[in-house]
Amino acid sequence: MRTSLNEIQHIEKHLLGDLPKEESLLLQAKMALDPDLNEKVTLQAETYAVVRAYGRKKLRTEIDRVEKKLFETSKYAGFRHRILNLFR
Amino acid sequence: MYKMEQANSDEIDGLFTRLYLEAFPAVAAFVSKRGGSLERAKDVFQDALIIYYEQIYTVGAKVRISDKAYLLGIARNLWYGEVKESQFLSDLDGLDAEKLADKAEPEASEVKLLSFLEVAGQKCMEMLKAFYYDSLSLSKISERFGFSGKRSATVQKYKCLEKVREEVKQRKLEYADFSE
Repeated sequence: MRTSLNEIQHIEKHLLGDLPKEESLLLQAKMALDPDLNEKVTLQAETYAVVRAYGRKKLRTEIDRVEKKLFETSKYAGFRHRILNLFR
Repeated sequence: MYKMEQANSDEIDGLFTRLYLEAFPAVAAFVSKRGGSLERAKDVFQDALIIYYEQIYTVGAKVRISDKAYLLGIARNLWYGEVKESQFLSDLDGLDAEKLADKAEPEASEVKLLSFLEVAGQKCMEMLKAFYYDSLSLSKISERFGFSGKRSATVQKYKCLEKVREEVKQRKLEYADFSE
């Protein structure tokens, strides 16, 4: 892998807690001295957050679709009546 | 407990349909008894399903009780506000928990970034989601995205991370310019 990808892999291990303690400390020391590296680590942490937000958004779409199916199609009329009765 | 090996759309549909049929009546009865509306019950259940999914697939937690009991437990906690979503979701080790999308509503800049990435970087986002959110195995990912093997899937994963990280940086710069 090219150098930049190795660095990304290293940062990932650090962020996920998969680096040995000494290596994590060394990386933190480098970050303190190197603003670019520090920025990369921060941005990478945010990137995982973006991936999670993306995942949730997609998941919510799937859930909405299933909910709609259960509450709007005739196949699930029995289920729907059972639920609606709870709120009468 | 049944765990999907390959989270494709049909299987997700099957999983959530089953969970609704099994567990939603109990959650709806619980919410109704406490004076909540059907809409409220649906909202609580949706949030509970997301927590369920992330616990089992993202985090890889083992659940030893039935899906129904587990979902009802999450829903009760959500209803009483005893357990905030973030407590369930903060155990992705080492990730900056506050920075993660634990807020119910993402910020405007985040929404913009997401919409942009959905269009411009969809393949990368789908792959990163498969790795980090659905926690699919490397071989499943290679199969689904057409990589020759685990190694090339790994390389592609880091390339995508680099690409999206650069995008996050650019968007932040633009946003900083804009808000000045």
